[in-house]
Amino acid sequence: MIVADNLTKRYGDKTAVDGVSFTVTPGRVTGFLGPNGAGKSTTMRMIVGLDRPTAGRVTVGGQEYRHLRSPLTEVGVLLDAKAIHTGRSARNHLRAMAATHGIGRTRVDEVIELTGIGSVASKRAGGFSLGMGQRLGIAAALLGDPHTLILDEPVNGLDPEGVRWVRQFVRHLAAEGRTVLLSSHLMSEMSQTADHVIVLGRGRVLADAPLPELVRTWTTTTLLVRSPRLDELVTALEIPDATISAVEPGAAQITGITPETVGDIAAARGIPLYELSPRIGSLEDAYLALTDDSVEYKTKEIA
Amino acid sequence: MTALAAAPRRATASAAHRLSFAHLLKSEAIKILTLRSTWWSLGVTAALSVGISLLIALATSGMGGSMEPTNVILAPTQFTMLVAGILGAIVVTGEYSTGMIRSTLTAEPRRGAVLLAKAIIVALTMMATTIVIYVAAILLTAPLLSTSIDWATPGDSIVPLALGVVSMACFTLMGVGFGFLLRSGAGAIAVTVGVLFVLPIMLSLFSIAGPDWMWVVEAGKYLPVSAAGSLTRAGASDLVEPALTMAGWVLAPLLLGWIALRSRDA
Repeated sequence: MIVADNLTKRYGDKTAVDGVSFTVTPGRVTGFLGPNGAGKSTTMRMIVGLDRPTAGRVTVGGQEYRHLRSPLTEVGVLLDAKAIHTGRSARNHLRAMAATHGIGRTRVDEVIELTGIGSVASKRAGGFSLGMGQRLGIAAALLGDPHTLILDEPVNGLDPEGVRWVRQFVRHLAAEGRTVLLSSHLMSEMSQTADHVIVLGRGRVLADAPLPELVRTWTTTTLLVRSPRLDELVTALEIPDATISAVEPGAAQITGITPETVGDIAAARGIPLYELSPRIGSLEDAYLALTDDSVEYKTKEIA
Repeated sequence: MTALAAAPRRATASAAHRLSFAHLLKSEAIKILTLRSTWWSLGVTAALSVGISLLIALATSGMGGSMEPTNVILAPTQFTMLVAGILGAIVVTGEYSTGMIRSTLTAEPRRGAVLLAKAIIVALTMMATTIVIYVAAILLTAPLLSTSIDWATPGDSIVPLALGVVSMACFTLMGVGFGFLLRSGAGAIAVTVGVLFVLPIMLSLFSIAGPDWMWVVEAGKYLPVSAAGSLTRAGASDLVEPALTMAGWVLAPLLLGWIALRSRDA
């Protein structure tokens, strides 16, 4: 369980994290979403005590991180893949990390095998690809078999197989009752991994909700209707809230109306329907709608 | 690319695994011994030290051995102190430049303990290396020297040599302190070399100035190099003042480094 209470971080006049409060509960994967510069990494660094909050506090398992008596067995952290001395081999890095808690070689070998870095374990970490560095970082996070995992962009640089492994792995850990907080800017990945999503924008919490609820609230469901007598059907619908836009001859997108209503009206008038399919919005749509005003580095729309 | 294990395996029992200072010391020992830069620094220190001792022994052997025999062993400190200071600095700044410090501080969030463990391990490493160097230098120069070390008089033998070992550890610890204070390798090395090597030369230049400037030359006595020189002089009587001076030069950077480590974000 991670509890942030009014967490704030200022650098000079710039407020990176602005009074953020949230709870990350065990037993599910919580996703941390937000544009670049939204304060995700800063928040994660404050959780593990690397950055001191300007105001507010955050606890892991009821205690501030710096008061944990055995941090590695409580919290596994991957902040960025490059928190590793480039001159040391992967195995020696893990041995040194494990030694702080008296964790033996058996467990070091276990996490090496688990993350699939066995073939490069004796090579210096400086020569690692981003993906390999990421796996080594995950291996280090798992050393103490922690109850809580905090992973900042864990799939960054991984190949598709690695991405899928991380997804299955964190879901498995959450199913075991552990607390998992992970950030990603890959929407499709997040929508497949997270149960619950916290969206940050300009240092504030924009949304904190279960993933399906978030998508439902922030997107509109569109109906694709295909009929040989489309004009007749559209006239018959007569719904003031509905917006109708033609897609191609004989097909239209309708929002603001349920598929049941359209089907009933069509049946009552004897209008044949070739297609009546609801298109549910994606997490990406919800995210873009949410963060529209809070994107710090905005790109221009391509005309 | 190795295939990833499909299903995660439950780990071994973690109840027994606990953070402790002894564990932290072991971790720091693994860290320092698994870096090539450490072995390079220690190798350079050994080669310089033994090499210069041999040269001095060769040069003085023809002159009836006017030099104190312990001085033959200790004289190379003038050069090896720089390598010692640089080693202390890079052990710390290497963690900052690579980001390793974030891993270190998440494993042990009590930052003072991290600094202390690192300081102890780096100092012990340098002391062990220096002892090996001195033994090698004593054995290698013995056949060349007309007067051998008088082991029966501790003040002319084991005391200056032991204080030489301690001085090398002190130079290393200065580097550690400046490393934590400045975080940048270039900055920490520049300050360490500046204090150990450049400052003494600058202050000694004032000896050609008038008597009004003599206090500057006097101040030079309180530099770490002068303190080490007084500590390791054979038959030295007053060891308290140089010992305090040296302690100050070690504790001040470590204290400043500790304050920086505690208060700054990592």
